[in-house]
Parts: sequence; structure tokens; C-alpha cells
Amino acid sequence: MSTLSSNEITHPPMRWGIRFARLMEGKAPRRLALAALALLLAFLSLYPLSMLLYGSLHTTPPGMAGTFNLSGYIQVFTWPTAVVFANTVGISLLKTVFSLLLAVLFGWIISRTDTPMRGSLEVLITLPFFVPPILTAMAWGMLGNPQVGVINLAWQWLSGSETPLVNVYSYAGVVWHMLQYSTPFLFLFVVEAFRAMDPALEEASRMCGASQWRTFRRVTLPLMLPAVITAFLLSFIRGLESFESPLFFGTPAKIEVVTTAIYNSIHHQSIPNYQFASALSFVIMGLMFLLVIWQWHLLRGRSFQTVTGKGYSPRVIKLGPWRWLTFAVCVLFFIISVVLPIGQLLLGSFFQFFGFYQWDMLTLDHYRSVLGNDEVWRAFRNTFLLGFGGASATMVLGSIVAYVSTRTRWSGRQLIDVLAWLPWMMPGMVLAVGFLWGFAFLPGAITIYGTIWALLIAYVALGTPVSVRVMSAAYHQLSFDLEECSRVHGASWWQTLWRILIALAWPSFAVGWVLTFFGIMRELSASVLLYSVGSEVLSVVLLRMWENGQAEAVSVVGLMMMLLVFLFRWVQLRLIKRYVSTL
Amino acid sequence: MSRVLKWIVCAGWLVGSSATVSAQSADWTAVVDAAKKEGKVVVYSMALGAPYYAAVLKSFEAKYGIKVESLDLRASELAERVRTEQAAGRFLGDTEIITTTMIEEQLKTGDYVQKVGDIPNAANLREPFKTSDVSVPAYVQPMGILINTRLVKPEEEPKSWNDLNDPKWKGKILSDDMRPLGSGNTMFAVLQKKMGAPFNEQLAEQKPVFSRDMRNDARRVARGEYPIYVPQVFAFASDLKGLPVKVVIPQEGAPYAQMEFALLKNAAHPNAARLLINHFLEIDSQLLYANAWMLPVVKGAAERANDDAKAFANAKLMGMATLAERPAMMELARKLYQ
Repeated sequence: MSTLSSNEITHPPMRWGIRFARLMEGKAPRRLALAALALLLAFLSLYPLSMLLYGSLHTTPPGMAGTFNLSGYIQVFTWPTAVVFANTVGISLLKTVFSLLLAVLFGWIISRTDTPMRGSLEVLITLPFFVPPILTAMAWGMLGNPQVGVINLAWQWLSGSETPLVNVYSYAGVVWHMLQYSTPFLFLFVVEAFRAMDPALEEASRMCGASQWRTFRRVTLPLMLPAVITAFLLSFIRGLESFESPLFFGTPAKIEVVTTAIYNSIHHQSIPNYQFASALSFVIMGLMFLLVIWQWHLLRGRSFQTVTGKGYSPRVIKLGPWRWLTFAVCVLFFIISVVLPIGQLLLGSFFQFFGFYQWDMLTLDHYRSVLGNDEVWRAFRNTFLLGFGGASATMVLGSIVAYVSTRTRWSGRQLIDVLAWLPWMMPGMVLAVGFLWGFAFLPGAITIYGTIWALLIAYVALGTPVSVRVMSAAYHQLSFDLEECSRVHGASWWQTLWRILIALAWPSFAVGWVLTFFGIMRELSASVLLYSVGSEVLSVVLLRMWENGQAEAVSVVGLMMMLLVFLFRWVQLRLIKRYVSTL
Repeated sequence: MSRVLKWIVCAGWLVGSSATVSAQSADWTAVVDAAKKEGKVVVYSMALGAPYYAAVLKSFEAKYGIKVESLDLRASELAERVRTEQAAGRFLGDTEIITTTMIEEQLKTGDYVQKVGDIPNAANLREPFKTSDVSVPAYVQPMGILINTRLVKPEEEPKSWNDLNDPKWKGKILSDDMRPLGSGNTMFAVLQKKMGAPFNEQLAEQKPVFSRDMRNDARRVARGEYPIYVPQVFAFASDLKGLPVKVVIPQEGAPYAQMEFALLKNAAHPNAARLLINHFLEIDSQLLYANAWMLPVVKGAAERANDDAKAFANAKLMGMATLAERPAMMELARKLYQ
């Protein structure tokens, strides 16, 4: 009797789908995929950072003769830099704490209470985030300057006092201006986390006799920890890197922060001091990294899964007459952070000059000049192209990275997570120089430099940390039971990914996409260093207009951007509503 | 006999010089032809799309049919981009328009620019402007004092830089930050040299408030936040007509920043670049700058400027900051304005 060896055994032909699924479940493809992902992230983050590391250790930038030394780092560890650093941390901490409190309050009001007109309020609260800071800085300069600011004149007229009520050119002014951007940014994170929470846990707490406040403090908030901590970190780090607010409101009050010190050392030194700028950035990066480790430590080994296999519908708390108070709080924030500054911009856009509201200066010239400007339209087209492509690519990459780091036990996943964090920790204006050097010094045959691809790659790198954080927070809330249940019922890995993970996390994906898209629209540091003739983007055109004294035209473009925000947010919320109703 | 000799010498000189001119013009015709063949020129500029700059480029394109690609960047970004491209062997730019000190710095730190060669219109440069082997003056940005005409009575208007140190202006002067590199420090350096050290010491006692947004700062003065702003680049006030502000040209003169053309090493379109430089020195091109309250560098443009621009186009110049003095001046400003 003859026997058949194992390789002689004939198998029935296997379907391609099954073959691919099996391949995906094997270890080799997984390692390959992980390596490819690590390589891609390394190119996006490690490569420009390595150029900067060289810059921090070398007396001259790449391509120039010089020597290696530590003088950049020695300059960092001096008393004046320590003072600058203390200012920076103080300002960022203050604005992050206040804006997080506000964001949690607004997130709760919008997603969990019966406050009237929540849909509209949700769009309105997020508006300040999308306005170029330079415009609101100008508007707040007009509103809150101690000499002739509108608020102070009104206060003096009403109270008879001779002392001004507010002074935006101060420490508080810097914090206030930053707060207007970080509150909506944090709100966008927090509101989705509130929405994705199964209220059964809160109901259980209430059933056991806990008060509303105690339930919020002991159940709701701790369950939101990943989203809140992630948002806190992102906002705090972004606060350390904030530039416009300290430049406009801090300089007159002699407040110097890390970014203005870096700006001075690159742009306003006799010979640009890249060594100090990059060394200072690396020291800050090290400190930020400690914060990230603290975040990992805080979240490690704890479960925050609130989206489980059990059906739920977000519970709405009936506030009774108090709902008008919560409504008033949201409206007040909207009036102060949007109506006041944007009202100034809107009004000013119809006059020849901001702040000079005379009949003989009424004009539509600014609208005519913007709408008839080919360069503006070309920049809009380029920005949209890069925004759509960049935001989509960034979110896909972020989703994959977040999936690997939160939903798998693959070795090396933490490395992937770290690589994705890195660009967020380096101040934008320094990282932009890293990209410039990195792309320029690639081998001659690789012609990224001087093309629109340089911008796209830089935008993806800059946006990846946010996309990863948004998606990680979303994945953290999804129970593993859901995936296991799907697989038990015969769904393939792809089907599970598509029908469970993507389906449940896509509202967060949409939020991340909008954040990334508008991040690209506003990005200036890398854009101005990497753009080429024909690939001008909106931020570069706005800079040109601003530098040419066309502040009113800049406002017109800013207002057009706000219209876009309305449109995007409306579509996004409609889709989420439709999607949530079919869950 | 001697008269005949004189005639012969004169005739010889005329023939000789006309031969030189015709040789030069023949050379230049070759440059123009080569430029047209190149078909394009890439300029790196700090003008950031200023309308007068765009108008000159447009007139060049119309006259020669050569496309101009202008990459507008801020000073430090422009310098770093040029340096990086040259170091990496990516020669994308042909020419640059930057400050005199930036060109000095490029010469000091690397090998980024090449000889410009003869530019015919450079013969029409007015005093004190001169070409060098590697640079050609393009235009000048002088600076003065901006006042709010509602807050400063005509009899109180400062006429001299010294008037800024009148005690009545203490705490009432808005200024571009004098410590970092920029217009504020240029003014500080020139006044230190021309008015003497006590001037800056007294000015520091006046406690000027620093800011870093020149365009918006002029508007802040117009709105009445401060009665005085220094240094006001004349050109930046030319578009504020209708607002209650006035630019004062101090009797001692105006500190200034000079913009110059340089030809980048390994430029892909060197002839088109030279032709553009020559076009910038045409009187009509310079007139566009003069009418924008800048100081033209060639003869014949200031005289033709609009009435409101004439004073600025003919302003007395006080001096410009130099590369050698810059670190010391920045250090001194930091010391005085701690």
C-alpha cells in the first residue's frame, strides 16, 4: 500500500479571500506590515528630527562646514532660558486647565442634557478654533487695549471709572487668547467621548443612590479618562508651542516664551541660531515625552470600554428649568469668543479700514479684491486638494497606527505609537526647518523638494499625532467582546474591521478629519518653507496679504473659511446623526 | 595745427566711445536674445506680493515675453532656503532681492552668489548707490516717525529724532522691538551712530512699548492707542491715506534698508535674471516704487513721482545698519531694554 507524503496531499482549491485572510493571520505578513508602518512613520518623523538633531549638535546647519559641540544645549541650560521656560509652562498649564474645564462642561451640556438648540450650539462653540489666530489677535487688540479698546471705553462710559477694565497686552491676555482656541479643540475630543458612553454605568450609580454630581465625578469622568488625558496632553503640548498669542499680546508686556525665543533665534538674530533653536526644541521634546510616559502609566492596565455589545442610546439628563442656564452659558461663550471678535472682523470687512466705521469709508472693495484675485482662488484650490488628500491620508494612517497600538498585542506597537507622537512634540517652526533640510538633502533622484508632494508629506506628518490620538481614544472605548462576537459568528478579519471597528469609530474619524483638514488650512511654518511657485496655499497667501497691510482682505478670507466650517460641521453632524440613528 | 589735432583727438574719442557703446549694446542684445531663449526666470523675493513689485514683474513679462516665477518669503526663510538649496545642489532660483546685509552675510558664510556682470541701466544709478561685483541696488526703504494727527497737535509734531525724547512722550511711544533683528534694530543702530549714544539712552528712559507687527502697529496709532510710532517705513504708510496719521521725515534724515539684486550660483536662467535686473532699473519701474513712497535708486524717477510721494522719494538718507556692527547693536539694545 502506498502512502502519500504531506506535500503530495491535494487540497481543494482555496478561495482568494480565504487565502488572503489566512495570510493576514500569519506572523510574517504581520511583521512585514509592522515594519512598513514603522518605516513610513520614521520617514515622516524621525528623518526630519534627525536633521534637526544634527543641527542641534553642529555649529552650522547641514551643508556648511562647522564642528560638533554642545553649545546649543549649554545655552539652553541658563537662567534666562529657565525663566522663559517657566513662563511657557505657566501659561500653557493655566490655559489648558481652564479650557479643559470649559470643554468638559460644554461636552456634557451638548451630549448629555436636554439643553435647547444643542445641535446649533455644538457648531457655534467650535467656531473659534477655525479662525486664523492672527485675525482674532487683531480683533482682540481693538476690543481690549487699555487706551481705546471698545470694552474699556464702554466700561468707562458705564461706570465713570478712569481705569481700564481689561488689558489684553498682559499675561492674562495671552492665556485668554489661547483659551479661545483650546476650548473648542478640547470640546471636539470630549463631546465624542461623552456620546460614545453607555449610560448604563451612570444609571447603575444613580440606582445605588449616588447624586448626579457624584455620578459625574466618580463614574462619568473616570470613564472619560483616556479622552480627557489625551486631550489635556495634546492641548498642553500645543500650548507650549503656541506662537501668535505670546507674540502679539506678550511682547508689549515683556513676556517671552519658548516659541518667541525660538522665533528670535531663527528669524531675528544676526546669524540664525539654529543650534540653540533645535537644542531648545529637543529639551522641550524630552520633557513632553515624560508627559506621554505619564499618560501611558495612568492608562495602563485599566479598562475604559464603554461601547459594548449591549445596545444603548445616549441618556439625556432632564435639567428642567436649569436647561436655560446651561443654554445661557454656551451662548455667553459663543458671544465672547465668536461674536465679539468675529463681529469686529465682519463689520471691518465692509469698511476701508478696521476700526474706522464712517459712512464715507463703507466699501465692498475688500470682497471684490479677494473674489477677483486669481492667486486666492489658486491657493484655495491647492489648499483644498492638499486638505482633502492630506486629511484623508492622515486619518487612514492614524487609524492604522491607533489600531495597532490599542487593539493588538503585537510586539513593537509601542514604538509605532511613539513615532506617531514625535511630530507633535517639536515646535512647528523648528520641525518645518527639519522638513526643509530633510527634503532638500534627499538623494538627487528623489525630487520631493520644490514640489507639492513636500507639502503633502509634511502635512501628513504634522497631522498624524492628532489623528492617532483621536482614533486611539475612540478604540479605547470599544469593547473587545464586539470583535470576538463578530469572529465567533463567522465574520472575517476584514469584515470585523469594517462592520465593527470602522463602523463604531467613524464619528471620531470624522472629527479627526475635520481637525486635520483645518489644521492643514491654517498651517504656515512648514508651508512657507516648502511651497513652490504654483503650489501656494491659503496660509501663504494670507501671510502675503497681511504683510502688505491688507488686514481687511485677510478678514474676508477668514470669513470665507468660517463659512466652510459651518458647511463642514453641518454635513458632519448630519451624517453622525443619521449614522447614530441606524446603530 | 593744434586745433586740427584737437579735432582729430575728439573725433577719435567719439568713434572709440561709440564703438564701445555699440559693442556693449551688441553684447546686451545677445543677453536679451539668450534671455528670451531661456524663457523664464525664478526670483526669490522678500516683497511678499507687494502690488508695485507685481506690477514691475508684469511689465517685464509684457515687454520681453519671459515668464517670471516669484517665490515670496520672509527674510530669514529666504536666506535659509537659498543656503539649503545651494548646499544640496538643487539650483531652483535664478536671482534674489534681499537686503545689502544679507548679501554680505551670504558672501561671508558661503558661496551662493555669482558675478552679475554689466547691467546697462546701472549707469543711471544716483548717489550714493553703487553696484558691486555681485549685487545691484534695487530700491530703498527709508523710515521715519508716524504720528496720530488727532493726538499730536501741529505745534507738538516732532521735527527731529531728538524730539522723541521730550518728557511729554514718556510711555506714549509704540515701537518695533529694537532688540531683535528688524526695522527697530536698524533704527537703533543708525541713530546710535549718527545721534550719539546718549540719544538711545534717553529714548530707553522714555519707556517705549515694543511690538512686533509693523503693519498693525501703524493702525494702532491711527486708532489712537498711541500718539507716536517708530520706525515707520514710509511705504507701509502709503496705503493708510484717509486715516488720521502722518509720516514725519526727521530733519537729520531717515535710517534705511537697501534692497539689492544678486545672481544665484548655477542659476538655470542667468540671462533672463540679468535682463530682469536691468528692467528693475528702468525709470518706469522705479517710478512704481517712488509712487509707493520708496526711494528710487536711479536718476529721473523721484522727479516724476506723484505729489504726495515726492517728499519720500527725495528724503534725506541718514544711513543703514551694517553687518559688522549688528551683533554689538543687538547686544546694546538688549542691555538698554532689559
